[in-house]
Amino acid sequence: MAGAFDFAPAIALLPFVSFLVALFAGQYLPKRGALAGIAATAGSFLLSAWVAITVAGGETYNEALYTFTAGLDAFELHLGLLIDPLTALMLLIVTLISLLVHVFSLGYMNDEGETGLPRYYAGLGLFTASMLAFVYSDNILMAFMFFELVGLCSYLLIGFHFREKAPPSAAKKAFLVTRFGDYFFLIGVVAIFVTFAGATRTPGAFAGEGSFPVLAEHALADGATEGLNTLGFEPDTWFTILGLLVLGGVMGKSAQFPLHTWLPDAMEGPTPVSALIHAATMVAAGVYLVARMYGFYALSPTALAIVALIGGFTALFAATMGVVKQELKQVLAYSTISQYGYMMLALGSGGYIAAVFHLTTHAVFKALLFLGAGSVIIAMHHEENMWEMGGLKDKMPVTYWSFLSGSLALAGIVPFAGFWSKDEVLFEALIHGFGSEGGLGTAFLLAYAMGLLAVFFTGFYTFRMVFLTFHGEPRTETARKPHGVRWNVKGPLAVLGVLAAIVGFINMAPVRQLTGAHIDFLHTWLNGPEEGGWPAELSTGLHHYEEVLHDFGLVSASYPLGGETGTLLVSAALSLGLALAGVLAARSLYAVPEPVEHTDELGSIKTLLMHNYYQDEYQVWLATGVTYPIARAADKFDQGVVDGVVNGISSVSLFTGSRVRRIQTGVVSNYAAFITIALVVLLVVFGVAGGWF
Amino acid sequence: MVAIAALLAVTLLGALGTFLVDDRHAAKFATAVSAVPLLGSVLMYYVYLTEYGGVGNALLAPGDIAFRQAVDWIELSGFTLQYSVGLDGVSMPLLTLTAVLTTLALVSSWTPIDERQSQFYGLMLLMEASLIGVFAALDFFLWFVFWEGVLIPMYLLIGVWGGPRRKYAAIKFFVYTNAASLVMFVGFFALVFSLGDSISTLGLPEIAQALRAGGALSPLAGISVDQLKLLAFVAMFFGFAVKVPVFPLHTWLPDAHVEAPTPVSVMLAGVLLKMGTYALLRFNFTMLSDVATGAVLAIMPVAIAAIGVFSVIYGAMLALAQRDLKRIVAYSSISSMGYVILGLVAFTPYGVGGATFQMIAHGLISGLMFMAVGVIYNETHTRMVGDMSGLADRMPWTVGIFVSAAFGYMGLPLMAGFAGELFIFLGSFGATETIGALAPLLTSVAMFGIVIVAGYLLWAMQKTLFGSYELETDYEINGAPFHDVAPLAVLLLLVIVLGVNPDLSFRMIQQAVNPILDVGGGI
Amino acid sequence: MIPTQYYLLLSAAIFCIGVFGVLTRRNALIFLMSVELILNAANINLVAFSFQHGNLSGQVFSLFTMGIAAAEVAVGLGIVLVLYRNFSDVDITEATTMRW
Repeated sequence: MAGAFDFAPAIALLPFVSFLVALFAGQYLPKRGALAGIAATAGSFLLSAWVAITVAGGETYNEALYTFTAGLDAFELHLGLLIDPLTALMLLIVTLISLLVHVFSLGYMNDEGETGLPRYYAGLGLFTASMLAFVYSDNILMAFMFFELVGLCSYLLIGFHFREKAPPSAAKKAFLVTRFGDYFFLIGVVAIFVTFAGATRTPGAFAGEGSFPVLAEHALADGATEGLNTLGFEPDTWFTILGLLVLGGVMGKSAQFPLHTWLPDAMEGPTPVSALIHAATMVAAGVYLVARMYGFYALSPTALAIVALIGGFTALFAATMGVVKQELKQVLAYSTISQYGYMMLALGSGGYIAAVFHLTTHAVFKALLFLGAGSVIIAMHHEENMWEMGGLKDKMPVTYWSFLSGSLALAGIVPFAGFWSKDEVLFEALIHGFGSEGGLGTAFLLAYAMGLLAVFFTGFYTFRMVFLTFHGEPRTETARKPHGVRWNVKGPLAVLGVLAAIVGFINMAPVRQLTGAHIDFLHTWLNGPEEGGWPAELSTGLHHYEEVLHDFGLVSASYPLGGETGTLLVSAALSLGLALAGVLAARSLYAVPEPVEHTDELGSIKTLLMHNYYQDEYQVWLATGVTYPIARAADKFDQGVVDGVVNGISSVSLFTGSRVRRIQTGVVSNYAAFITIALVVLLVVFGVAGGWF
Repeated sequence: MVAIAALLAVTLLGALGTFLVDDRHAAKFATAVSAVPLLGSVLMYYVYLTEYGGVGNALLAPGDIAFRQAVDWIELSGFTLQYSVGLDGVSMPLLTLTAVLTTLALVSSWTPIDERQSQFYGLMLLMEASLIGVFAALDFFLWFVFWEGVLIPMYLLIGVWGGPRRKYAAIKFFVYTNAASLVMFVGFFALVFSLGDSISTLGLPEIAQALRAGGALSPLAGISVDQLKLLAFVAMFFGFAVKVPVFPLHTWLPDAHVEAPTPVSVMLAGVLLKMGTYALLRFNFTMLSDVATGAVLAIMPVAIAAIGVFSVIYGAMLALAQRDLKRIVAYSSISSMGYVILGLVAFTPYGVGGATFQMIAHGLISGLMFMAVGVIYNETHTRMVGDMSGLADRMPWTVGIFVSAAFGYMGLPLMAGFAGELFIFLGSFGATETIGALAPLLTSVAMFGIVIVAGYLLWAMQKTLFGSYELETDYEINGAPFHDVAPLAVLLLLVIVLGVNPDLSFRMIQQAVNPILDVGGGI
Repeated sequence: MIPTQYYLLLSAAIFCIGVFGVLTRRNALIFLMSVELILNAANINLVAFSFQHGNLSGQVFSLFTMGIAAAEVAVGLGIVLVLYRNFSDVDITEATTMRW
C-alpha cells in the first residue's frame, strides 16, 4: 500500500509544478498563477500533515531516490529524502507559511494592480519548492544544491521590482553576501565527501549508518579512522574545521554577524516575500541546516562555542540596531536577524529542542508580523515610515489584534509563543554555561548574557513599533483615511494571530517542571521512543544528541539557583522581567498622543546605530575599495605587461623587419654586388675551411 | 563504420555547396546542411549510449573504439599514415557539442550577418568539418591537418566579418595559435623519433600504448629518456595551453572575442577552447601520464595546478574590471577553463572526468552567454555596460534567458556548470597523491572563483538589464525575433538537462577516462 | 692540345668582366650584355670539362644554356623596353619603386 512517504516527493514537486504553470501559462490564468500556487501549497501542506501523522506513528524515511551520478570507480552522488520528526515539523511550517503567503499575495499583489505577476508567483513556487527539497534532503550535497536554489529565488523575488533602482541592487547584495558564505559551505561539502568517501558508500548522508555524523562520532569514540581522509589533521580538529566551513553557509543564509548585511536591504522585495524569506524559507534554512546535522556539530566543543557566541552576539547586536529604525519593515528585519541569533545561541549551547522550538514559534509570529506590516503598508498606500502612521488601531482591528499577538510573541510576554521558546533558549544557555568546564562554559555564559540583554531591546523595539504604528493620533492624512484590506489579507493574519498566541503550548517546559504533566510535546516529538525505533536507526534523536553533546561536546548542565525548578523559574522571571521592562520603556516613550523621536538623546551612538555599526560601509568598501581596484590593477597588468610582452614581440619583429628591409635598395647593381660579395666570402670560407690556402 | 566519414563528407560538401549558393539563400541552405551532422551526431550519441555501453578509452584500448574506421593513406619510409577515426566517451560528447553549437550558431547568424553570407556560412561549415575531424581523428597526421584546418576558417571569420580591430585580432589569433602548434609539433615528434622502430604508424593509440608501456623510448640526440619526456610534455603543454587558454598565454582570447561576430564567438568559446583541453587530455595526460603525475619531476602537477588555479582567479578578476559585456564573458572563459586544468592534473576519477564534463558544460553555457550578449547587441547595437539599463522592460524573454544563463555560469545547482565544477572540486580536493599537500588549499582558492563570477555577472546584470529603461544609442528596441531567442532556449534546456542528469555524458566520460588513471605512471 | 687550365682562365676572365659590368654599369643594355658574358663563362667551363672528361653531357648542357640565354635575352629586352616606357630611360638605378 502506498503510504505517505511514497507521496513525499510531491511535497516539493507540487510547488515546482506551480512554478512552471505560473511561468509559462500565468498570463493566461485568472489570477496570474496565484491559484495554481495556492492549490500547490495547500496540497503540499496536506501531504506534509499526512507525513507528520505517519511520522507520529513512529515511522521515518531515509532513502536515496535519484542517482545524480553513479561515479564510476568513485563514490556516487544522489538525491534522496530523509524524513524524521524534525523534517516533518519543518515541512509543516514551510508549507503552511507558504500557503498563507500565497493567499496574502492575492491581496498585496493582485489587488494592488502589480504587473509581472506570473513572474512573482513563479518565483514563489520555485522558492517554496527549493526550500522544501532542502528541508528533506537526505545528504549534504542535495542540501547545498537546494540551498543555492533558495538563494536564486531570493534574488529573483527581492529584485521583483526590477524597474526601480534599489531592488536589483538589494537582490545582488543578498545573493552575493550569501554566496560568500556558501563558498565556505561548498568547501565544507567537498571536504566532507573527500573525508568520508573511503569509509562509506554514502559519505554525505545526514542520518543512518554510514552517514558522516555517525562515522565522525565513531572515529572520535573508538578511533575508527580507517578509510577516513582527514588530510593530515587530527580527527577532532578536522571535524571542527568541517563544521566551521559549513557554518559559513549558515551564517550567510541565516544572516548572522558579519554576513547579516544583506537582510535589511532585502526588505526591497514585496512584503509577502519578506514574510516568506524571513519566517520560513531562506533565513530559516541556515539554522535548520545546523539542526539537521546537529550530531556533527555536537562533536566539537570549539564549533559549539563559536556557534553560541555568534548567535548571542548577533542577537544583541541586531536588536540594538532595531531600536532606532524608522521603517516598519526595517525594524522587523533587524528583529529577524536577532531572533535567528537566539536560535544559533540555543544550538551552540546544547539546546537542540529550544532552537527547533524557537524556529517554529518564530516562523509563525514573524510571518504574522511581516504580513501585518504588509497589511499596514497596503493601508498606508505603500508608506513604510512609522512616523507617518499612528492611530491605525481603530481603523484596522483585525490587523491590529493579530499584529499585537505577534508582537507579544516576539517580545516574549507570557503566554504568547515567543515567551516559551525564548525562555527555553536562555535557560539552556544558562545551565550549560554553568555546567560546562572551562572556556566552553565561559563562552556559553557570555552568549547567554548577550542574549539576555537583547531581550530588553526586543521588548523595546517591538512595542515602539506597535505604539508608533497603531496607537496615538494619526500623524498624516493617509493614516487618517487608510485603504481597506480584504479577506485575503485578514484571513492569513487571523490564522497566524491565533497560532502566535497558542503555538508556544507545544512545549511548555516550565509548566511541565512545575506540574509534572507531560505537556512538552515537542520534546517527546523530537526525542522519539527511548529504545529502538527511528532514533536508533537514524541517530537523529534528541537522546542521541544529548549523549554526544555530553561525551564529545563536553557540554553538561548544572543548576546554580536552587535546583532545576528554581533555576528554571529565575531564568523565566529574568527574561520576562526584562521583556516587560522593554515594553514599559517603549510605552512610556511612545504611547503618548504625540510621540517624538528620542533617538537624538543617544548622541553619537545614534549615528552609529543608524549606520548599522558601519557594517555595510566596510563591506561595500571591501568590494569597491579593495576588490575592484585589485581587478583594475590586474587589468592594467594584463593589458600592459602580459599583452604588452605579446605586442612587444610583434613590435620587435616589425621594427627589425623595417630596418633590415632597407638592404633592398631597389638598385639592381647593389643586389649584384651583394651576390658577388657573398660569393667571394663563401669561396674564402670554403677555402680556409677546406685547406686550399 | 563510415558514420564519421559520412559526417565529414556531408559537412565538407555542404561547405563547398554553400560557397556556390547565392547570398540570399546561403543562411537557410547552410543551416539545413548543418542539420545533417547534428542529427547524425545525436543519433550516434544515442547508438553509443545503447550499443557501446562499456566502451573504454580510444587510445588505450583500441578494441573499444566506437565508429572505428581505418584506411591506409600515405606510405612513408617507416611510417604509414592512416585515415583513422573513431570515438570514445571523451570525444563523443565533444563531437555532439560541436554539431549542436554549429547549428545553433548558424541560426543565430541570421540577424547579424548581412554581407558575404555564402562565404560566411561556407566557412562556418568548413570549421565544423575540421572540428569534427579534430575530435574523431585517431592518427596524428590526420588530426594535425584538422587541428590546423580549424584555424583558417576562424582566421577569415574574424578578419572579414569582425569588428573595427578585426585584422589585429585575427592576425594575433592566427600567429599565436600557429606558433604554439609549432612548439607542440616539435615536442610530439621528438617523442615519435625517440620511439623509433617500435611504432609503424602515427596512430595515436599505437603511440599512446607504446609510451605508456615504458621502455620503448630510447635516448635521442644525447637527451635522456626522462628529460626527453619532460621536454616533450612541456612543449606540448605550451602548445595546447595557448588554445585553452592558460595564463599567461591568454591575451589573444579577449581580442578575438571582442572583434569576432557573435556566432564566431560562440564557436570560439564553445568548441575551439575545448580543443586545447581535449588535446591536453589526449596527449599530455594520457600519453605522458607519468610526467603529469609527477613521477618524472615532482613539482610538475603542483605547478600545473597552480597555473590552473591562478587562471581561475586571474581571469575572474579581469572580468571584474571590464565594461564590455563580451569582454566579461571572454575573460570568464579563462576562469572556467582554469577549473578544467585543475581537474585534469588532479588525476582522479572525479577530477579528470569532471574536467571533461566541464568542457561540455562550459561549451554549452559560454555559447549561451555569448549568444545572449549577441542578441542584446543585435537590438541595442552596443555592448558597453554603461550604455544601457533596464533592458528587462523591453525584451523580457531574452533577459530571462540571460539571467538563467548567468546563473548557470555562476554554477547554480541543477545546471551543467555546477555539476562540472563540483566534480572537479571533489576530484581535486583530496588529490594529495598528485598535487600533494597543497591540493585542498589550491582547490579552496579555485572555489573562490564562484564568488567572483557571481560578483561581476550580478553587477553587469544589475547595470544593464534592470533599473529604468535607458539606452544611449538612438535605436528603438523591441523584443528580439524568434529565431534569435530560440537557440538560446535550446541551449538553456540542454544546460538544465545535463545539470539534472549529468550521467547522460558523465558516465561515458568516466568509462573513457578511468583507464587513463588506472595505469598512470605515478599511481 | 691546349690544357684545360687555359680554358678555365679564359672563362674566369670573361666571368670577371661580366661581373665588373654588372656592378659598375647603369645602362640596362650593357647590364644585359654583362649577364650574357657571365653565362657564357659558364658555358666555356661546361665545354672545357666535357672535353677533358670525354663526356658529352657538358656540351649538351651548354646547348641548353644557350637556349635559355636566348630566352633570357628576350625577357631581358622586354624588361628593358618596359623600363624605358615607364622611366623614359634605361638607367637601372632609376627604377627603384619596387623595393618596399
